[in-house]
Amino acid sequence: MLSAFRAALTTPDLRKKILFTLGVVAVYRLGANIPSPGVSYPNVQECLRQVEGSENAGIYSLINLFSGGALLQLSILALGIMPYITASIIIQLLTVVIPRFEALKKEGQSGQNKLTQYTRYLTIALAILQATGIVSLANSGALLGNCPGIIPDDSVFNLAVIVIVMTAGTAIVMWLGEQVTEKGVGNGMSLLIFASIAHRIPAEGMNILNNAGPLVFAGVCVFGLAIIVSVVFVEQGQRRIPVQYAKRMVGRRMYGGTSTYLPLKVNQAGVIPVIFGSSLLYLPDLVARLVGNDGGWFQQFVQTYLVDQSNWLHILLYVALIIFFTYFYVGITFNPEERADEMKKFGGFIPGIRPGRPTAEYLNFVLSRITLPGSLYLGIIAVLPNFFLGVTGSGQNQNFPFGGTAVLIMVGVGLDTVKQIESQLMQRNYEGFLR
Amino acid sequence: MSDEEAGRERPRSAADRRGRRASSSGSEASGAVTAGKGRPTRSRGESAPKKASIFARLVRFLREVVAELRKVIWPTRKQLVTYTIVVLVFVAFMVALVSLLDWVFGLGVEALFGA
Repeated sequence: MLSAFRAALTTPDLRKKILFTLGVVAVYRLGANIPSPGVSYPNVQECLRQVEGSENAGIYSLINLFSGGALLQLSILALGIMPYITASIIIQLLTVVIPRFEALKKEGQSGQNKLTQYTRYLTIALAILQATGIVSLANSGALLGNCPGIIPDDSVFNLAVIVIVMTAGTAIVMWLGEQVTEKGVGNGMSLLIFASIAHRIPAEGMNILNNAGPLVFAGVCVFGLAIIVSVVFVEQGQRRIPVQYAKRMVGRRMYGGTSTYLPLKVNQAGVIPVIFGSSLLYLPDLVARLVGNDGGWFQQFVQTYLVDQSNWLHILLYVALIIFFTYFYVGITFNPEERADEMKKFGGFIPGIRPGRPTAEYLNFVLSRITLPGSLYLGIIAVLPNFFLGVTGSGQNQNFPFGGTAVLIMVGVGLDTVKQIESQLMQRNYEGFLR
Repeated sequence: MSDEEAGRERPRSAADRRGRRASSSGSEASGAVTAGKGRPTRSRGESAPKKASIFARLVRFLREVVAELRKVIWPTRKQLVTYTIVVLVFVAFMVALVSLLDWVFGLGVEALFGA
């Protein structure tokens, strides 16, 4: 494996890509640490220390997870990648509803570009909304548990500057993510989320160690390892559909006649459903905070049922969302008709099934059956730690980075990225990591 | 590599299919829809399952899920260990990198904006 690492770094093309990705991560972390203009940095740190020590520290970890601690610090990248995720969920859901979007999606590359453009506009709109909400919360002192003095000069101009800076920060994060997808390794969006989660791990680990003692800490580690192994196990599970290629003569030479397989992963959708589900669950909380602090029935409902991770409604809703998004995302990314057409074009067929429409139907049949256990697995792993919240110590009632969502995202992104590096290595006939 | 693997897997799936056909033809007609060679034409209409009650359809669906799950090729123990180690190394590296960056940037920000 060590030689593979060296090979990855000595290939100039790949080295450039890896270094570029790491550089983007560094830029992202830098932006997450720089405070916004007009925000009093010493006061924020003081307030953060107060919140960490108090009972309700757990409430903030959900919000803080995807922004990597940047949100509560009111840094320039405080909003992180969340508005972009929300926007892409909305746009992708709208492709089913709005005929024009559906037409665009079927148009191919140019239509896809147009949709991406819409996603970006929506991201900016959402970012302005969120930034306004967070700035007003911080200004009233409600963001960090009644701790005033975060924004010393609360003139309208000053507040507007903070909102604009945060919105611009979101645009930068969006751009960084797209750059990684294009020029680096791995999917930029999920890699940035990965970096945010990675930021929280050491602190939360120390938290468990200090609060609950080494025995529980070891238990949590073993539990985390078990989850990692099971995630790897399911991610690698494939349903291989045999595909036979017809022999044909082109000129005097014989082509084809090989038999391969079409791999359908048990979890074809990857980690995207988990990201979508958790960010959608986070929305009502955000809306409730934006509405105000009057403690109406809506806010109370959200607080008791949706924010509290050990609540049965939260767990059920989360699993349902994940299952829905798994089917949804598989439906978006894997098109049986297209695959069947492709196969037909190149003279391939599934033994026992005629090319064309029956093949597409068969693929659809297998895919819809194999996705059910895949989605159930995603849902169960994501909520499993919620049942053990009490074990890891009172006070901070959820250790989010060690929760199922975080582990799923980390392992999924890790596997994806390593596999991409691997396939790049394979192109040059190097031995990869995965031997 | 892929060729070799496909060659190894094929007999197994073929035997699987044969075994399923033998069992399904005895027990149930609906199971033979996917297995029987001459049948696919008739199964395309799928009028028969639609008439069944929703409960029966659910049971059938679950049975088909199990049947598909049996045909899934899971990673071997060796693969599992390698992938797990690779993921752990990757995660450890990224966590270390991010914490190092955060520490450095934190120091810098503290020096610039701290009290």
